[in-house]
Amino acid sequence: MLFGECASKNGDGSMSRLRSVISLLIIGLAALLSILPAAADGYFEDDLTIAFLPRSLGNPIFLDAFEAAQKKAYELGVTLEWVAPFDFDSDLQVEMIENLIRRGVDGIVASVNDEEAIHRVFQKAMANGIPVATFDADSPGSGRLFHIGINNYKAGVEIGTALVSVIKEKGLEDQVLDTMIMTGYREALNLEERIRGFLDATADDVRLNIVSILENEDTVEKSIILLEDYLKMNPDVDVIFFVGGWPFYVTSDALPNFRQWAQEGGIAVGIDLFYDALLLQKEGLIQYLIGQDMTGMGAQGMELIVNFIRYGQVPPEFVETGLEHANESNLDRLLEIHKPWLVK
Amino acid sequence: MLSFERFWSKLAKKTEIHTIRTKLILSFLVIALIPLGIMAVFSYQTYYGSLTASVTEYAHEVVTGMGRDLDDYFSDLEMLLTREQDFYMDQLIKLVDGNDFNNRKYVFRIWEDLNNLHTVKPGLEEISLVFSNGQRFSNYGLYSLDFAAFRQEFQASMEERGIAILGPHPNFLNRNVVTMVKPYSSPAAENAVFMTADINLDRLANITDVKLGTRGYVFVADRAGRIVYHPDADRIGMTSRFFRHDVPGGFADGFTDYEHERFFLATAFSPVTGWTVVSVAYADEIGAQVAPIQRITFAVIALILAGVILLAVYLSHALSRPIKELQNLTKRAANHDLSVQIVPQGNDEIAMLGHSFNKMIARIQELMEENVREQKMLRKLEMESLDNQIKPHFIYNTLDLIIGQLESNQNEQASSLIEALGNFFRLSLSKGREIVPIASEVEHVRNYLFIQQLRHGEEYQYEVAVDSDILDKYIPRLLLQPLVENAIYHGILQANRQGRIEILGYQESGSEDIIFEIRDDGAGIEPDQLRDINEVLRGLRSLENEKEYFGLRNVNKRAKLMFGEDYGVVLRSKLGRGTTAVLRIKAAWEDPNV
Repeated sequence: MLFGECASKNGDGSMSRLRSVISLLIIGLAALLSILPAAADGYFEDDLTIAFLPRSLGNPIFLDAFEAAQKKAYELGVTLEWVAPFDFDSDLQVEMIENLIRRGVDGIVASVNDEEAIHRVFQKAMANGIPVATFDADSPGSGRLFHIGINNYKAGVEIGTALVSVIKEKGLEDQVLDTMIMTGYREALNLEERIRGFLDATADDVRLNIVSILENEDTVEKSIILLEDYLKMNPDVDVIFFVGGWPFYVTSDALPNFRQWAQEGGIAVGIDLFYDALLLQKEGLIQYLIGQDMTGMGAQGMELIVNFIRYGQVPPEFVETGLEHANESNLDRLLEIHKPWLVK
Repeated sequence: MLSFERFWSKLAKKTEIHTIRTKLILSFLVIALIPLGIMAVFSYQTYYGSLTASVTEYAHEVVTGMGRDLDDYFSDLEMLLTREQDFYMDQLIKLVDGNDFNNRKYVFRIWEDLNNLHTVKPGLEEISLVFSNGQRFSNYGLYSLDFAAFRQEFQASMEERGIAILGPHPNFLNRNVVTMVKPYSSPAAENAVFMTADINLDRLANITDVKLGTRGYVFVADRAGRIVYHPDADRIGMTSRFFRHDVPGGFADGFTDYEHERFFLATAFSPVTGWTVVSVAYADEIGAQVAPIQRITFAVIALILAGVILLAVYLSHALSRPIKELQNLTKRAANHDLSVQIVPQGNDEIAMLGHSFNKMIARIQELMEENVREQKMLRKLEMESLDNQIKPHFIYNTLDLIIGQLESNQNEQASSLIEALGNFFRLSLSKGREIVPIASEVEHVRNYLFIQQLRHGEEYQYEVAVDSDILDKYIPRLLLQPLVENAIYHGILQANRQGRIEILGYQESGSEDIIFEIRDDGAGIEPDQLRDINEVLRGLRSLENEKEYFGLRNVNKRAKLMFGEDYGVVLRSKLGRGTTAVLRIKAAWEDPNV
């Protein structure tokens, strides 16, 4: 069937070219068949189980990675375990890894909540022969096999640079702008890197006065409450930098203070790019977004660790998944690409 | 044996167990201890019974409450697991069955839902949706389990109403849980889907968290007696040692013995879970709860006992002190100190005894003084009697008679007279003895009569007829001679004619008394004078002239002093025909001088 569909699409070439193409296709198909059916039926004798640990189940940003990891696991014929505390909880994440080790999973890929606290348990896993990698949030000091994600510092720099452009467009570069930063946890290395890049990028060109850094404990609900309360108490703040996209999973109706603040000239930029966030940007409530490829982290992360386990293919220590920018010029196109998550 | 008796004797002596005081103390103690002991035993038994009843009732209330809590808790869980056509679950089931991984919308909602339940329901460790491919979507995410084993266990444990509660096991996070499983019915499901709820054993610990004494505890077991929860985690999963196949429900209420130890079990069955809640109390600890009341009882008894001892000591001292004093005084009195006197206090029997003692001592004193007086009187009378016998006139005349006989060569008669006189004086003196054999006294009288017969020219005849049976008995000396002298001088010699004197001695028939009769056939006595003399002799009348009737009075007085008022001398006489002096004495069968 597959072959037939491919053939009909390529039916107007010369015979010799066709033969060579068919020969290649046969070889490729044979190679593919040697893998795909087996993978689809979970037929690998090694029966691998790979555990992914997002920072929390309650953060929808990881759902892209979840779906992609499921698909990739099915393709590769491995079992996916996707476990995390529902709410951000560093200790419980460590406890879960302990139990994954006890249960004898074959590989672990984690988005690290507490970079320091994770070292011991990562090293224990590796001592038990379980390869460990990180995605999204890294723990470089832990000795993990590889990290897949964005360059968080670079993402911070790029969103900072974008903010500078927005400010200059508004002719506010000479004004001191009170700025609030919303992050998940100060202990999260990836988030801290983003903040560092952001501050470095904005230090010279605009005059930001960081008045508050709010921690939402990596939860959507708390981020919304914090944001609304903060703007109610501090409506005069000029700039908000969202280190992650926590409050963007709801419509603007659920963020009345934010909507009013933005409509009155407040400047908001953020990292994390998804359908609901793009809708807010479309409404003009957010000026600039930079997104990370969570799908790639899920799929590629799964593939890399399975290949390492099965074939000994050692991946590069850092696998960068790249950044995606959303501004007025490409907003409509992005809204067509990204699917609504409908989780809220 | 001997040494033990000696030891006991020494101990008794040392502790003065023989004294009235000790006996009184012991008596008081025994009298006090018997009711106290009965009261203590009765109180203890009553309290122990009451305590056991209340412990039993309390334990039953406790386990019944626990069973009810278990039922409530698991009923709530069952409700949580009861889903009717849950849209998100149905959609996820379809996607899982079709290996469609565009499931974020449903997975996220389900995670959120499960997490909310996990958050709001205490003890709910994990709640999940289990698919036949082994996938388990729970509040911890997605992971795999051995579905075949899971289903087998479910079927083995399934209750009639279609749910199962799987026994204790470690869950995904290695926490000990029991799992309630309920099939999820969905038209969308091609394969079996289950909902599960893992309950942390800590929740069972909370429900059964009652301390029954120091070592008592509560555990939960299933129908097979397998322990579902036990405070000692090592016993979880084992068959309870109290489980019995022959008892409905597997556990018997009440006291039971196991390995030399006694326990009290109270049980309650939980219909929802099919488990039995069993409280185990150590019988010795139930008993130990009586210890405070036991201590209080002992303390009260000790206090009462101390009070009783003090009271006993005081009372026995109060009672025995006068007795002791009486004893000391009696001892002094026995040692011839008759000056002792008790000062009685109060008017009880001991005080009366004291009065009587004082009276007795006074009386003894009187008697002793009287005795002394009497003895003096006796000595005096004896001396007087002796003086009376050794009158110079009697001696001179007798000696003159002897000289005359010698001068007239009546040597043989003179010799007899000298011999009689010698015997007379020897027997008069009797070596100073107060009491002499009757034979000696009769011999003395014979000598006197012989001498007087010679002196008075044989104006009379005499006869001495004394029963030989009484000769070896004893009589105060010189009792008969004055009476014989009276018969001679006031009877025979007054009649101026030949006379006769008879001396009879015999034991009165039917009594121990000895009677001497000294008869003469002389002048006799005027009846008035005779009455007068007898009145004097009976003490009915006193005399102004001490010399009057001296001999009679002396003998009579001595006899009365020696033998009592019933004894003495009585005269019988008829004027012109003679007089009889009757002397009554008490026979003495043994020599009182020995």
